[in-house]
Amino acid sequence: MDFLSDTVVLSRMQFAVTAIFHILWPVLTTGMGIYLVIVEGLWLKTKNPDYYLHARFWSKFYVLNFGIGVATGIPMEFQFGTNWAPFSEAVGNFFGSVIGFEASWAFMLEAAFLGIMLFGWERVNPAIHFMSTILVAVGANLSTVFILIANSWMQTPAGVELVNGKFVVTDYFRALFNPFWLNSVSHMFFATLETSLFVIGGISAWYILNRRHEAFFAKSFKIVLAAAIAVAPFQIYLGHTSGEQVQHYQPSKLAAMEAQWETTPAGQPADWSVIAIPNDKAEKNDFEVTIPNALGYILEFRKELTRPVIGLKDIKSDERPHAVGLIYYAFRTMIAIGFFLAALMGLTVVQWLRGKLSTDAIADQKWLMRIWLFSAPLGYVAVESGWIVRCVGRQPWSVYGQIRTADSVSNVPASNVLTSLLGFTAVYALLLIATLYFGSRIVRKGPDLGLPIPGTEVTKPAIDTSPGEFVPDERPVEAQQ
Amino acid sequence: METLRYFLPQCWFIILALFLLLYVMLDGFDLGVGILSLTSSDEERRGILMTSLSNIWDANETWLVLMGGSLFGAFPLAYGTILSALYIPIFIMVFGFIFRGVAFEFREQANRKFFWNIAFGTGSFAAALGQGFALGAVLSGISVDQAGHFIGGTWDWLTWQSVLVALTLIQGYVLIGSTYLIWKTSGELQEIHYGTAKLAAWTTLIGAVFITVSTPIFYESARARLFEPPLVYIFAAIPFVGVFLIAQLLRSLNRKEDRAPFVWTILLFVFTFLGLGLIVFPYIIPTQITIYEAAADPSSLVIMIIFIGFLIPVMLFYNLYQYIVFRGKVSGGQYGE
Repeated sequence: MDFLSDTVVLSRMQFAVTAIFHILWPVLTTGMGIYLVIVEGLWLKTKNPDYYLHARFWSKFYVLNFGIGVATGIPMEFQFGTNWAPFSEAVGNFFGSVIGFEASWAFMLEAAFLGIMLFGWERVNPAIHFMSTILVAVGANLSTVFILIANSWMQTPAGVELVNGKFVVTDYFRALFNPFWLNSVSHMFFATLETSLFVIGGISAWYILNRRHEAFFAKSFKIVLAAAIAVAPFQIYLGHTSGEQVQHYQPSKLAAMEAQWETTPAGQPADWSVIAIPNDKAEKNDFEVTIPNALGYILEFRKELTRPVIGLKDIKSDERPHAVGLIYYAFRTMIAIGFFLAALMGLTVVQWLRGKLSTDAIADQKWLMRIWLFSAPLGYVAVESGWIVRCVGRQPWSVYGQIRTADSVSNVPASNVLTSLLGFTAVYALLLIATLYFGSRIVRKGPDLGLPIPGTEVTKPAIDTSPGEFVPDERPVEAQQ
Repeated sequence: METLRYFLPQCWFIILALFLLLYVMLDGFDLGVGILSLTSSDEERRGILMTSLSNIWDANETWLVLMGGSLFGAFPLAYGTILSALYIPIFIMVFGFIFRGVAFEFREQANRKFFWNIAFGTGSFAAALGQGFALGAVLSGISVDQAGHFIGGTWDWLTWQSVLVALTLIQGYVLIGSTYLIWKTSGELQEIHYGTAKLAAWTTLIGAVFITVSTPIFYESARARLFEPPLVYIFAAIPFVGVFLIAQLLRSLNRKEDRAPFVWTILLFVFTFLGLGLIVFPYIIPTQITIYEAAADPSSLVIMIIFIGFLIPVMLFYNLYQYIVFRGKVSGGQYGE
């Protein structure tokens, strides 16, 4: 148990544990924020009270996840200082300011308008409320933008120069808009959206399966389905372009993702392995099932690669990741889920076009609904797998090719890190269990369809500003004076 | 260029001080209400206490996140050194935040609220305690090497000064929390918090006197600077103004005024903070590292002023706006007019 006294390993584990747990909560809130904008907009447009009740019902999940997202997110920020002080000092000029932007542009916006969104239905007029809902969604998604810019810069550090162990920013905008930023931000934006859509779709499917408020939840199911038509295929495309970028900028990560030990020179085809048992010591795959010549088609849509794929053997052992099996399978898990969700969307759309999803027929689609229910957690699994590929695949670097993870760790005793690691593991596991418990209670309780709809009840404004109806005065002329 | 090297770090020192002050005042009453909830045996009172915070607690906490992010960007060296030196107090605070933060929603949902009540109260207490230890440790000094990296031990932060500062900070939070509740509640509940406010005002005063008296003694460089004109005049005025403010606060409490106690407490916080700022300046890690040594590159500081500095009025505006939306007294777990 050597690692128990190794600050580097323990700090990495702590970052991994806190990040893996933390991401579960904001993934849902960032994606669901957009969904809430859609249903509230539909309500304002159509005046159909069902959409208002949808906004109220789904925001229960929003608030359940949001508080935990905030609470578990604070340690993420502070960890850079407590556990990664040399890293913080080296990257502060750029990375630190992006964290500052995230707090000022994104967090504050979301936090300040969330109160109005959740508790302000009766206190502000519908337009202000709708604006608050939009700003909450904007705030949440801006944090995706900033944190992905920061992380992309760690993958493809641009616009900086390393002087005496510190990055000096030479071109701020090249650093912000580094090679990975656009693809990574988009891929994560669609990941949160897709995950949330399938969670909402899965919960809606549960109600439909149990024949509770089928008509009501057929609505949310169809909104989700309509959005998924665009989101699910486009996410696969973004995955592909992300892969292209990895091939170009991070050959050691690509080699680990595909468990390629030998270099394939340009102009030659390469096999793509479907299943393998990578052996890091022997530098080969102990067992492998491959599709001949497929790697070229996957990366470049052609048989012969125009650019070489570097093999792990040809990268210095201390400059490449060693958890090859983890990266390899995490990558395959993500891809499998991406295609599965897109296929499920396609199948459901076919049923929709055949008229099988009409309000009175939808509950007969038992198997389809069961698959949707089963798919509710898959988005999370794909997100986690993708981040494992991204960050474990970056090793042994904290800033790719520039600063090693081992040199980024604070001078704190291993026992401290072990204690906080155990604390985080226990507390975050408790929070996950509590979220699932209270989340399923919200589901079982169901929507409160008796809520008063704002604007329809007796609370009239004190002064009626609507143009008055002309009532002819029928009194005799004398009496009118 | 040479003036920029001084001007920009000074700008960021002031901006960070502003963020920290806003945090200490806003999350101060937030945490204070949390600590006060520990004294409550009544479920309804606890419900009202938590409702009075439910729409603002995360915005209040965000000031600290903002302060942290800006410190990271503006003074990266200080960010790494201070946080790694204060590993234990920081994580006491962080775990406190986690428990109190999730308690808001989980308590609302749970049938048996006991566990989440405890989580909310002790979480608030732990967060305040961790902050107090951290503040005390920074004020009494962190051992660093030539390059400014932490070289001390893992328990260095635990000294009698940091314990004193932590206890006083908790009293201060209870004070501002009580006066906030006086403002936001009515009837019997308000009555209780006139009492807690009065008690906390005295305990805060005692702590503050101890700290003020002992500061120039344990803090030599501060003594040298503060006892020279022109700072000595400002510095000498601080205790008098402090006593005046406390007297006004106690008077308003005795007269059972609604909002005045909160306002006087805010002024008291601002004033104490000003004093602390004067003692610390121009250091970011007192008596070891100045803001000029720890500062990020001038170009980064300029970019941050553009992207964060100009957003400060906007952030203040929409925070203020939501306080206006939720104005009025809280009763029965609901916002009333």
